[in-house]
Order: sequence, then structure tokens, then C-alpha cells
Amino acid sequence: MLSGMANPRQAAAQLMNFGLIVSTAFMMWKGLSVITDSPSPIVVVLSGSMEPAFQRGDLLFLWNRNIFSETSVGEIVVYNVKDKDIPIVHRVVRKFGTGSKAKLLTKGDNNLSDDTELYARGQDYLVRKDIIGSVVGFIPFVGYVTIMLSEHPWLKPVMLGMMGLVVVLQRE
Amino acid sequence: MASQEKISVYNLADLKNTSDDAIPNYLNSLKFRQSHRLTDIRLTLGYGALAIAAACLGWDYKFGFDATKYYTAAAVALYSLLNGALTLWIFYVERGTIYEGTAPSSAGGDTIRISTHTKKNVPEYNVTVEVTGKDGKKKGKVEVTKPFTEWFDATGHFVAAPFQSVLATAVPAVGKADPKRVAGPKEGAAATTTTTYTPEILEALAAGTLGSETSGAEPKSGKKGERRRKA
Repeated sequence: MLSGMANPRQAAAQLMNFGLIVSTAFMMWKGLSVITDSPSPIVVVLSGSMEPAFQRGDLLFLWNRNIFSETSVGEIVVYNVKDKDIPIVHRVVRKFGTGSKAKLLTKGDNNLSDDTELYARGQDYLVRKDIIGSVVGFIPFVGYVTIMLSEHPWLKPVMLGMMGLVVVLQRE
Repeated sequence: MASQEKISVYNLADLKNTSDDAIPNYLNSLKFRQSHRLTDIRLTLGYGALAIAAACLGWDYKFGFDATKYYTAAAVALYSLLNGALTLWIFYVERGTIYEGTAPSSAGGDTIRISTHTKKNVPEYNVTVEVTGKDGKKKGKVEVTKPFTEWFDATGHFVAAPFQSVLATAVPAVGKADPKRVAGPKEGAAATTTTTYTPEILEALAAGTLGSETSGAEPKSGKKGERRRKA
């Protein structure tokens, strides 16, 4: 493989192939974002606040367009609290008004109280643009890897090492 | 150069890559003028797509998704277009081409285009050479299939002489540029083994590999023997 590096065109082609793998993954993600109109069309459930509907580690697919009907009471939505970058998956339980100004209140199915305490200081309700999508599908448990990786940071090098080992031991 | 390093003879990809690398080396040493047109267009398409993805990543990181989503949509469309064009280019235009070049005018000035492939688990090198004359007219196509054992020794070293002989024998444009490598067709068939052959067996062998030696070198003499491989 290293012999190809002597030829600049071959080296450029190898670098390009690697880049195309990475960029294709990135552009597929962006394409999904554009289609669903959501900055993050796939999220992982981080808490048990929506049990028994969703467990920690479930992978959720979001849709953020209101083609046929507005986001309404009963829908499970993912929203971002102002100035906090953690998406929260909860159900819409109250709605006042219509359109983009409608005031929405959310609550976790498994929580005793509604989300007013989770919202930012001075924020008593959500509006439509706080929501990054409604849940339209899910795969149980497959997102648990990301939870493991963020909760046990030492797993990251271990996993990278294992991947590297596989690459080294298993050549095509 | 490829012949310096040793490869595993059980690795088909290594066999093919080493042979592929040897072709430009050989032909360029015969004063063929190599054309990088196909590779350059492939690199342009690929790096164009990469540039778009990088730009998209940049504005997404800097301005967020909502502010830039129409640009992102356009970038996704353009990226798929370029990537699709690249895929079509590789499958329908390049078709495994590893060399394109023009013979020196002393050897006819033909343009040749060489593509190679291997079949899974078959240790044979399939070479297709398309020849175009100086006037732009297609002069024909030569297909050669040879076992890698002809130019790799048991330890995995590439041996240049028999490999060059295969090319020079099969392709007249190469043969004219390098007449001393042109072998009689029977010699090529016998070079794989060390036993002596009677003319009948040689005929049978030639029939078995029919199509592998379509045109090229005029049979100068019927004599066999004269191994190119050093023992």
C-alpha cells in the first residue's frame, strides 16, 4: 500500500477515496437533515423519562415538517432548551393557540411533573421553533453504544484499539 | 520500483497491483508518452465533491443548520451529482484502465489503452489493450490472459523480463518499440513449465489458451526452450 505513495496521482487518489467515504457519510446525514427539515434527524434517548414508551438507548427518527397538520397534543417531540445543547424527548401535553406562536407544554410520561422546571430561566413554555422534530419511528437499544461511550470515556480508546486490531489482523 | 519489494504470492490484490505498477514503468522506459487524462478527470470530480462537503461542514459549523439549510440542500444535490458522475466515470469510462499512452513515432505512434482485471481466486492476469492509430481510428483490441506465475518467482519477487515479454509479444505497438522482448508464441506457452514438450502437446496447449494470444508477434521460428526465468 505504501508503494503507491511514490506516485503523486496514486497518493492523491488514495487520499480522495478515504475522503469520499467520510464525506459521503456526512452528506447523507445532511441530506436526511434537509429532507426532514431537522438539524438532528436521528437522536438517542438519554433518560428514562419516557418509559415505558422509550428506554435509554433507543434510536429515534424525527420529522420536523408540518405538511398535513400542526404539531399537536399527544405527539412525542424532541426539543432543545435555550442555551443548553441537550435534546430532550417528551410528550406535548398542553397547547394554547395555533401556528408558530402556539404555546406548548411538554412532560415526560414517566415524570411526576411537567417540564417547566427543565426549561431555561424565564421560559415557561415552548414554541414551535424550539422543537427539532416529532418522533416518527424508533429502533430499540441500538443507540446504547453512544451512551456507553459518553458515560465511560475510557471505552473510546479501547474501542478504537479493537477496531485497529481488526484492521491489522484482517487484511483483504 | 515494484520489483524491489517482495509480495505474498497468495495475495491476488498484491499480484495485480505490482503488475499494474510495472506496466507504466516499462512503457514509459520505452519512451511512451503517458496520458493522465482519465486519472485527472477522476481526481477533479472527487476533489470537487470533497470541496463541496468541506464547505458545507464549514457553514453548518459556523452559522448553524437553520440559517443555511437552503445552501445545504443545494450542496447535497451537487454532491450527489458529482459523486454519481464519478461513479459513472469509473465504471463506464475508465473500466479498470491503468495506462494510457502514445508510442514513440519511431514505433508507429499508436495510442494504447491498457486495462487489467483479475477474477476472484483465479491467479491469472487479464490484460485488455485497445489500440488507436495516429489518425484516431480504432485499430483493434488485444486480450491476454496469463498466469501470474510467469513473472513472479516462488518467493514473490517480480521478474521484469518475462512480464515485459508478454506485453511486447501481445501488443504490436509495444513490440515495435521493444523488439528484443518479442517472443515466438510457442515459447510463451512453454515458458510456464520446465518439462520439454513435443509439438503435439504444444498444439494442444495452444488450443487450450486460444484467444489469449490473438495477434502480435510474427512467429519467427518454431524453436522452444530458452527459458526467460532464472532458475
